[in-house]
Amino acid sequence: MESPNLEKTMIQRKKHPKLQDYRFTLKLLGKNRLAAAGGVIVLVYFAIAVLDYVDPQYLQPYLNYILSGGSQAFYVPLGPGLSNGWAYIFGETEYNMPIFPYILAALKVDLTYTVFIVGSGALIGVVLGTISGYYGGYLDEVVMRITDIFFSVPTLVLALAIIFALQASSLLDIVYALIIIWWPTYARISRGQALSLKSMKYVEASTASGSSGLRNVFVHLMPNVLSPVMVQLSLDLGSVVGVFATLVFIGFMHLPNPYIPELGNIIVIGESEFTAVGAWWAVLFPGIFLFIFVIAVNLLGDGLRDVLDPKLRR
Amino acid sequence: MELRYFVLRRVLLLIPTLAGLLILVFALFMSLPHSLLELSLFPGIPHNAALEEAQGAQILGLPYTLNGVYHPGLPLPLQFGKYVVRLFQGNWGYMTVPIYSGSVIGAITTFFPNTAQLVIIASILAIVISIPLGTFIGARPNTISDHVGRIFTFIGYAIPAFVLGTFLLAIFSKGGIIPIFPSANAFSASAIPNPPPSWMLSSGDLFITSPTHIVLVDSLLHGDLGLAWNTLMHTILPVLTLTYGLLAGIMRFIRAGMVDSARQEYVKTARSEGVPERIVIREHIRRNALIPTITVMGLIIASLLGGVVVVEEVFSYPGMGLLTVQAAVQTQVYGVLGTTLVFGLILVLANLIVDVIYALIDPRIRY
Repeated sequence: MESPNLEKTMIQRKKHPKLQDYRFTLKLLGKNRLAAAGGVIVLVYFAIAVLDYVDPQYLQPYLNYILSGGSQAFYVPLGPGLSNGWAYIFGETEYNMPIFPYILAALKVDLTYTVFIVGSGALIGVVLGTISGYYGGYLDEVVMRITDIFFSVPTLVLALAIIFALQASSLLDIVYALIIIWWPTYARISRGQALSLKSMKYVEASTASGSSGLRNVFVHLMPNVLSPVMVQLSLDLGSVVGVFATLVFIGFMHLPNPYIPELGNIIVIGESEFTAVGAWWAVLFPGIFLFIFVIAVNLLGDGLRDVLDPKLRR
Repeated sequence: MELRYFVLRRVLLLIPTLAGLLILVFALFMSLPHSLLELSLFPGIPHNAALEEAQGAQILGLPYTLNGVYHPGLPLPLQFGKYVVRLFQGNWGYMTVPIYSGSVIGAITTFFPNTAQLVIIASILAIVISIPLGTFIGARPNTISDHVGRIFTFIGYAIPAFVLGTFLLAIFSKGGIIPIFPSANAFSASAIPNPPPSWMLSSGDLFITSPTHIVLVDSLLHGDLGLAWNTLMHTILPVLTLTYGLLAGIMRFIRAGMVDSARQEYVKTARSEGVPERIVIREHIRRNALIPTITVMGLIIASLLGGVVVVEEVFSYPGMGLLTVQAAVQTQVYGVLGTTLVFGLILVLANLIVDVIYALIDPRIRY
């Protein structure tokens, strides 16, 4: 009488193996305290970044203010936004802009673009790298030589040159330049992974049972290429945020523009006041926000590397 | 494989890499709008073919005409060929930026030594500090000193150079809390004797010293201690900023390598044979820990060269980095292409040296 029920619950409990695997990974990651702390911080940052997309009422007054060019008499509007005390917790900049909401708005811009850069770079790189690793031959040779070219110039210099070639006029042009620069890393990683995977028995078996090459690439190789890519992706979130802010810093240093909420730009604006009257806060706090994110992402990435490595696992 | 064959093969591999680099720079060149190319060829002259070339050369006071700098209308491969020939002839175009005005080759020979000075001092400092410190903390994993060392490393790794540089500049330069260092340039103009000695070539307010072109070395060679001290003071803040990032990058790998190779069987064997701990750490663990560090050296050098750009920009230090940024800001096409090419060449050569050192230290990779 009980047995059908029992069987039913047992079937329910038996989750999809992939799902179990993810849960196991998360559990292992939770045990590594530093990595877990890094993960939590990264989540908080992304929550801030997403906040404005979900409910614009919190940051919108500040964004409007930034975009309107600021005014002498700026008071934080009453209502759901930050209270005056909180808004001015890190002081204000040259343009009478409270720094804290400025930073929050900048995090939205920085993280959105960073995710876009890393995501597009990884997508292009993984597809190209896996295909070239799987098919080999001339295709592989050509793709790898192209990646070599990208590695023969320092990232920042190449970024400057590409931004120049694109005749950059907005932050989005910096984003395109960084995508052009960032895909080769992923192409190399996934190509190496695909090379070692393609001679595995399960791929041979799938070829023997009639899979086409592309099916092998997208269904059998790509999911297994992803774990080292995930590690690189999380580490790259940190370096891309840094490089992006650096490029904005370099680009706007000669021409401070208060209308652009971006961490590097806040530091540019803060810098002139810092050297002139010693107002350190407009440099320190955006710097700290940048710094904490990079550290958190690195902790998370190191933890992920340990957790996703099948040899170190268990 | 013998070492010299390895080196020979590695040097031959430079050819495709350099070809790739040239193609990249050429592709950047070709992707620019025509109007921009013409503009930076003949500043201030309306565009009109052959007449301009002669006039342009005359106006700029150039030793040769600009004949053949830019070839609209030719097929791409031919244009590329002409471009490469032009590079080998030393005709890299012209640029006008706040710190320099004239041929790109001239700009590079003027400012490259300054950058070399920064990079060399920073590298020596970083290596001298990071190897003993990395060995020290790597030999004592999970102790207090290890944690302190790792935090120190992590901060250096995560703090962007422009934030650190801005702070150092604001605190230690003129107008700051502790104003002990000068804030811009590679040396003060007032430190140069009047008239300048014979070993200093001057053109306008730019000085080139001989024989090495590196001011710090040359002034010491000629016994001008005042200029040497002045140069050193100008160099300290940029070097500190560069060194910290570099140091952190190297130390991270040395520590990881130390912890990793301390687990190997040969270390246990050495210890059980009664080899003193000091020698085990130095000879058995550290030697093997340095190998993975050398493999990532190429990446570290690439980030160092990127760091130079930022640091020179923050400290207004006249070097290749500042030249690149100013060329980009002032839309000087040939300046941007030339400096990009030089940075690429430095990185390619640095990678060659790293590979040779790697082969010297670890004979396994030669086979």
